[in-house]
Amino acid sequence: MNLPENLRYSSEHEWVAVDGDRARVGITDFAQDALGDVVYVDLPEVGASVAASGTCAEVESTKSVSDIYAPVSGTVAAVNEALRDAPEQVNADPYGAGWIFEVAMSDPGELDGLMDAAAYRALVES
Amino acid sequence: MAADDALLASVAAGGPPVLRLYRFDPPALTLGRFQADTDVDRAACTRLGVEVARRPTGGRALLHGPDVTYAVALPEPPGVAGRVDDLYRYLADGLIDGLARLGVAAGVACAGGPRGPVCMAAQQGADLRVGDRKVCGSAQVRRAGVVLQHGSVLLDRLAFDETDLVRDPGLDRDALRAATVTLAELGAPTEPGTVATALAEGFAAALGVSFRAVPGLSGA
Repeated sequence: MNLPENLRYSSEHEWVAVDGDRARVGITDFAQDALGDVVYVDLPEVGASVAASGTCAEVESTKSVSDIYAPVSGTVAAVNEALRDAPEQVNADPYGAGWIFEVAMSDPGELDGLMDAAAYRALVES
Repeated sequence: MAADDALLASVAAGGPPVLRLYRFDPPALTLGRFQADTDVDRAACTRLGVEVARRPTGGRALLHGPDVTYAVALPEPPGVAGRVDDLYRYLADGLIDGLARLGVAAGVACAGGPRGPVCMAAQQGADLRVGDRKVCGSAQVRRAGVVLQHGSVLLDRLAFDETDLVRDPGLDRDALRAATVTLAELGAPTEPGTVATALAEGFAAALGVSFRAVPGLSGA
């Protein structure tokens, strides 16, 4: 299981890459493997307000629709438009081309509530 | 479909697991949560008296009418750990047990089967087959730690099918019939009440639960 050390992780299996007040979000290698082949990503609207732990996107895999949660609060600043035509990137490159959305954070302090790679590994291997 | 969404919300709010067994009259074509509207031939649906509805679950177009539809809502069971295929297999045990009570030996379909805009023509790990022919198609939505799974067990056939209702279905009527099998064709009971009872008993046995019957619940 690939868990980059430079990312933060949520208990709902999202990863967060921080750049200033921007948080780029995707799902973890563990999550994409558990979902199976992703065939559709329902992206949030740019400009939408999101709350930490609130639902903000959905994915379909193997005829199963699953929620994607916002790990931090703020405003959706960007979405990965490429996933509309190539949702399989979520499986192929979950930490790169498979990113899902970016949040302009309203409370960067919420990052302290997320896990580092070691803590997330312990969660999914427990 | 709205009733099934309500089942999911009920379980998410702490209510007991629910199994709902029902039929559609008039027939209805249900679409998966994200399936394109353009897959449907609306004029054909109107001409044939078929209503169109959208499921909260994934998957592709399915004609209800010659089937028994089930919806089961329950908290995601421990041990499944969010794996979609494991969750399908967990619930497949109930369906397989139920079909066995009707004398039908079904198995889980292969994960890498054919795909397309018609549910019953495709096979994935969500589905059940007899031999290599699909007898039950299923799909899920997972929300707030609860799974709602829908599915359809084919009892018999109508004079029309999904190849009349879906644009570019990817196969013709003969191919769809060859890819599927009904309980009638298997010589199994097709009386809807009998089938529903068998499925309820199968879920109860496989999941180790008992259901309290709430007759008369209706509405698609």
